[in-house]
Order: sequence, then C-alpha cells, then structure tokens
Amino acid sequence: MAEELERSVLVGRLTRPISGLMATTYRWVDERLGVTDLVHQLLYEAVPRRGAWAYSLGSATLILIVLQIVTGMFLLWTYVPSTTEAWLSLNFIEHHDEFAAIVRGMHLWGAYILFVVIGLHMVRTFVSGSYKKPRELNWIVGVVLFLLVLGLGITGAMLPWDQAAYWTATVVTHVVDYFPIFGTQLQEILRGGPQMGPATLTRFFAIHIWLLPALLVPLIGLHLILLRRHGEHGSWVNYEGVEEETEAERAERMARAEAPYPALPSDPGYAVPMDLDDFFPSQVFKDALVSFGLVLLIFIMAIVIGAPIERAANPAALNYVPTPEWFFLPLDQLLVQFPQAWMIPVGVFILPGIGTTLLILVPFLDRTPGRQPWRRPEVMVPALFVLLFLIFEAMLAVNRLFNL
Amino acid sequence: MHLLGALAPQLTPVPISTGVATILVAVIMTMHVQFAAWQQGGYIILAVSDFMGWKRKSEHHDRFSRGLVTMLGASFALGGSLAIFAVVILFTGLWSHFWVTLLRVLFWPLLAEAAAFVGEIACLYPLYARWEQLGRVRGLRVGLEVLLFVNASIQMLLINMVASYMLTPRPAFNLPLIMFNPTMIPLEIHRFVGNIAFAGAIIALVAGIRLLRRAKAPQLRAYVDWMGQYGLVWAIGFTIAQPLVGWEYAKEIQLHAYASWYDMMLGGLSVAFLFQVFLLGLIFTGGIFYLWRRVRASGFRSPALAVCTALSFLAWLLISTPSSLAWSYESVFAANANVPIWQGGLLIPWGAMIPWKLTALVTFTGVAIVAITLYLKHVSRGRLHWGDAGKSQAVALIAVGVSISLIMALMGYIRENSRGPFLITNHMLINQQQDFTPPSASGPALNGPASGVSIIMPSDLHP
Repeated sequence: MAEELERSVLVGRLTRPISGLMATTYRWVDERLGVTDLVHQLLYEAVPRRGAWAYSLGSATLILIVLQIVTGMFLLWTYVPSTTEAWLSLNFIEHHDEFAAIVRGMHLWGAYILFVVIGLHMVRTFVSGSYKKPRELNWIVGVVLFLLVLGLGITGAMLPWDQAAYWTATVVTHVVDYFPIFGTQLQEILRGGPQMGPATLTRFFAIHIWLLPALLVPLIGLHLILLRRHGEHGSWVNYEGVEEETEAERAERMARAEAPYPALPSDPGYAVPMDLDDFFPSQVFKDALVSFGLVLLIFIMAIVIGAPIERAANPAALNYVPTPEWFFLPLDQLLVQFPQAWMIPVGVFILPGIGTTLLILVPFLDRTPGRQPWRRPEVMVPALFVLLFLIFEAMLAVNRLFNL
Repeated sequence: MHLLGALAPQLTPVPISTGVATILVAVIMTMHVQFAAWQQGGYIILAVSDFMGWKRKSEHHDRFSRGLVTMLGASFALGGSLAIFAVVILFTGLWSHFWVTLLRVLFWPLLAEAAAFVGEIACLYPLYARWEQLGRVRGLRVGLEVLLFVNASIQMLLINMVASYMLTPRPAFNLPLIMFNPTMIPLEIHRFVGNIAFAGAIIALVAGIRLLRRAKAPQLRAYVDWMGQYGLVWAIGFTIAQPLVGWEYAKEIQLHAYASWYDMMLGGLSVAFLFQVFLLGLIFTGGIFYLWRRVRASGFRSPALAVCTALSFLAWLLISTPSSLAWSYESVFAANANVPIWQGGLLIPWGAMIPWKLTALVTFTGVAIVAITLYLKHVSRGRLHWGDAGKSQAVALIAVGVSISLIMALMGYIRENSRGPFLITNHMLINQQQDFTPPSASGPALNGPASGVSIIMPSDLHP
C-alpha cells in the first residue's frame, strides 16, 4: 500500500501541471483523454530487477528508430527524389547547409548504430531464452522488424544517387533477377523497367519512406503490446533458485506477482522473476541514460565524420568497384565463397533463406527445459557458430575490399 | 668509426650452409610457433575456465585453471627463449638481409610486438606467482587473464602482419597496405582459431596420456577424464571453422600469390597438402569418434553421434583421395595422361577439389557442429559420469592432439616452401643472405639470377 502511494506521488509529480490556467487546461484535457490514467498505465509496471542495463537495449532501439523518422523528415525538406536532382540536393546539403548536413550525418550514423543496437538486443534476447513460451510471437515480430530495418538500410543507401548508391542499386536489382520463377518480373518491378533509370530511384524512395515504415510502425506497436502483455522476461539471473523452490514457495511468489506478471502460459518457475523492480523510475532512468548516450554518440559522429557523398552516379564508369554497406559485408563475402554457378543461388537465396527461416522458428525449435545458456547447447552451439561465421565473413570482406 | 672500418673486411659469412641454416631456422621456428600457439590459445581457455570455476563453483574448472597457469608460465619461459634465440642468433646471424629488411619494412609492428612481450610478462607473472592471493579478488584475476589473452592476440596480429607480408608483399613504403596485405586477415583468423584448437588439443593429449598411464585413483581419473573432454571440445569446436577459413585463405593466396598457390595445390607441395587434409580428416573423425564413445562409456547410446562418426569417416576418405597418381599436375601433363585412370590416364576424379574435397570440407563442418551440440546436450543434462572414459577414448584424445601438432608443423613447412626460392615473394631470395657487399649499380646481381625480380636491399629502404 505504501509502495502504491509512493508511486502515485511520483507519477502525480510528472502529470501535475504547474499552476492556475494550466491546471484547468490539463484537467479539461484529462477528463476527455484520460492522460493521467494513460501515464499510470505506461509507468506502473513491474520489471526484473537484475540485469536491468541489458534490458535497456529494446528501448534504445525504439528511440533510435524515432530518431531515424525525425531526421528523415527533416531530410525530405531538401532531398529531391529524381536521378537528376537527388545528388545535387544532397551535395547542396553537404556544402551549403550545415544544419542539414548534421541532420543527414545523424540519419546515417543513427542507422549504423541502430544496426549494432538491434544486433545486441537480439543476442541478449536469444542468450537469455526470452523467446520461450509465452513470448514466441514477440520474437517473430522482432525478427520481422529486424528484416524491415535491413530493408530500410539497403534502400536508404540507394537514395543519394552517387556512385555508391547507383551501383548498389544495380547490384541489388541484378541479384533479384536470379530469384526463382519470377526473378525477372521482380527485377522489372524494382527497376521500373528492364534497365536502371529514373523510375528505379522513385521506387526505392517510395519503398524507403512509405512502404517499409508503414509496415514497421504497426509492428513496433505490436511488439510493445506483446511486451506489456507478458512482461519483460529478463534472463536466467532473474530466476536463479527456481529449480530448488518448493511448490508452496512458487505459489507464494506467483501470488505476490505484480502486473503484468505472472506471464502465462509459461514453464513452471519462469512466470515471475524472483525479484521485481518498478519500471518507473528505475528502468526508465537506465533506459533514458543509455538512449541519451547513444544519441549523443550519433551527434558526435555526425559532426566529426558526417555523411560523405561520392561523385554523382555515372552509369558509364567502368572502373568503379561497388562496395556494400558494412552490415551487408558478411552477405557480400558469402557470394565469393562459392563457385560461380552456385554463387547467387546459394549465397543470396538458399543459405540466407535457411538462416532467416531458422531464426524465425527458434522459439519452436528450442525445446530445452532451462533458460541458462549452458543448459541449452542445442541452440547456443549452432548460434555461436553462426555468429562467429558472420564476424569472420565481415572481416574477410573488409580485407578483400581493402586490397582491391 | 675508423676502428669499425678496419674490422669491416672481417665480416665474412657465418660458416654454415644455406641448407643447414634453413633447417635450423625451420626447427626452431616450428617449435616457437607451437609454443606461441599454445600460449595464445591457453590464455583464453584459462580465462574462460577460471570464470566458469568462479561463477559456477566448479571444482574441476578451479583445479584445471590452477594447473594451466603453471604450465603456461613455464612454457612461456621456454617459448620466449626460443624466440629470442631465433631472432638474435638465427635471423641476425644467418639471414641478415632478410631480417634487417623485415625490421626496416615493418619496424613499427615489430616494435609493438616487442613491447607486447612486456605486457605479457606483466600479466602472466602475477598470475603464475600469486595465484591464490589474486583469487581473493576473483574478478581481478579473471580480468588479468582476459588482458593476457587480449595482449597475446595483439602480439599474434602484429606477427601475422610480418608473416603474411612475406607471402603477399605490398609496396615498401605504404605501411597500412603492408600491414593489411591481402593474406593478413585470413591468416589472422586461421591462426586465431587454430591456436585455440591447438591449446585444447594439447590439453586433450595430456589427459589422454594420463588416462592411459597414471590416472588410476577414482578422483584423479574423474578429473583427468573431465579435462580430456574439456580440451577436446575446445579443439574440435574451433577446428570447425578451419575448413571455411582455410578455404578463404587459399583463395586470397590464389589471387595474390598464384605461384605459391599453384605449388601448394597442384605442384610439388600438393602431396604435402594432401597429407595436411588427411590430418584434418583425422582430427575431425578422431574427435567425433571420441564424443560418440565417451557418451557410450557412460551408458548412453547415441545413434546420431554414431552416424556423425560414420559421415566424418566417409568425408575423411573422400578428402584423402589424391587427384592423380602423380606427384604434381605437371607430371600428369608431362606424361600426357590428363584423363581418368579407367581411360589409361593418371587422374582420379573423386580427388578433385570441386566438388569432392569441397563436399568433404562442408561435411566435416556440418557434422562436427551437430556432434558437438549433441555431446554438450548430454553434458548439460548431467548424463556423463566423469571417470568412465576407456582406452579407446584416451587413444582418440592422443590422436587428435598429435594430429593438430603435426598439422601445424606441416602447415608451416608448406607455407614457407610455397614461397621458395623467395623469403619475401618476388622480392628476396634465400641465397646469399650473409653477403655484406653493397649492391652493385648495374642491377640485382647480388641475390641471384632471378630475372624480372625486384630485389629489396636494406639500403634501398632509406627514403
């Protein structure tokens, strides 16, 4: 009861307007929209106490996606999505508009750091077995979100219409041609015809700013709804000792559980973390600090390095060697692993296809009883090899491109 | 100065032939490489084991870490002295031009390499001498072990720049290109993975010998049994990456040092390379066989592990098949026998790299991942009883340990000889390393008659 009261005070401080007219206005709005209730619902939640810093990666991902949307909106004020003016508009930003140049730098570095944070978030979720019952759907939504962000990354890289962008688009649409049965049709849809041209840029622009975000935003909402429904699983450190618990102790722990726990249907013992904390202010503080640090890092990178732009696209250039964005380096290196006839079918479709399918199906493939990584070798060992493989492939790709 | 000038005519070559010098360098460097690999791989195993002992309160991990740090401390002293002997006596005395050139071209990486030895001593010595005391602050001890591994990894990275430069050299004054030459990263990954596998295999080898000979008391036998499988999991676990990484390394050599690649794959060294992949097959098959029999020794049947062993054995047969009944591909052409054996030729189609040897490599990788996973599943469920290991498992541990040691020595032999007659590909010959006569103005006569070869002299390197 005392805790409840304390939290009400804290939330009250957040929602209470300062004085007179503002109080009246707030009450008017609150009566119609239920702002106070909403804030209570958003902030009053139990979360696992131990390992809280690691759980801030999810909210950091959200903040970085919001940053991408905001900086992307600013860029739309200047960017012109046409093959004749795209490069000119960005070149103008780089050389004549310092604010926009920083915003563009933040958009680029925000994307780079977003990939790192999403990767860490997925690794954390995987290692802790957070995808297990009842959170399978949330894992699947998370994987789809990751694929959408990859799609945003590759389509975004084509928009400057400089040499790198043009040849990236050429390679990507060329690879699509190898897709079984309807590869050529897919290529023509993406290119807007059999050849690269003005329609190609328009289509990738539309995919980047409309199609993919239109899929991304509702899925983020679904991801959050599912998170709130089942609560944060945490990791095995939040369930130490559950195996030695008696039935009575477990029942008592379940009875003491605060919303949104117990997460049901779950394996016995894993429905409620052993030790809980409040989302506000404990977790919110950590989330805010991590997100702030990342945004600051992005800002610094935007100022120090910025977003360099290459020469304008030149389809006649014969000596230009296209290099992929760094997050596609493992895939790029995978292409050169195979003899030429197998290269694209195996390197682009079969292996990545199998990998993505397995990633989506992880919650159903992992039938291990525990949550500790060392008790789940069936998934941890193959995953470790895949991770090492991707790191090695990226390193080898860097080496190959450096020595071209 | 005039005194040194007066001494100059006395600077005659050390009276040791090139052949003897080469053998001396090869023997000492092979030993040094094995010690260095053991150190680097041992450090990460030490850090992980000590961490596991700390966090999971595992007595086996604790006991193992204590023994390992003692071994690493002692072997560092011996391995380090071999390195000093090689550099001060062999390289400086017998291969003067080569060493001075390398030192000049890669001065900064070699300087950093030397400095990293100080870091290694600073981390290793306290662990060796004050293990128990440091154990009172366990996090500090584990941190020191991680630092030791990072330091050793940096050392290896730096020396790989030198080793890879010798095979695929880049322009003499472009240090970033020299350091990150085409084969540097593939060699780095190849050795990084290989060193950890090697250290694990040595641990397995020691355990295998002890299982066969002395470890009779139940408690000791339980520990040695555990140590053997622990080392083997590291060894096989990291060897899994080698087919892929080795393939990549060979591809880069093919692109940037074709003559060396040809010699290794199709030329005079191809037989040695065939023996190399034979040993690789032995490591995989022996290791997977061990995992299968070790599970069986504790009373659990695992048909899946048996299938893995059989598949690995088939892949071993496939990868060990020669591509021809000749010492090199040139001999096949010379004999006008470039057709399969059943048509009267010398070629054996199942020995071809693509698709057969590639299929064998992919099989090793896939089967080993499955086998390790299945084995660890048994361990994680607490099904294995330590001390059950029998003679066949001990022999398998020894076979894997000896094979990894042999494969490393053989790889060194192949790599060094693939450059022959150069010490630095297309730039420096092995002959006349102690010729102190300045280069003549008329051309590259000093180091031999190789036409079309640009010879680097130390004096050429001064900007």
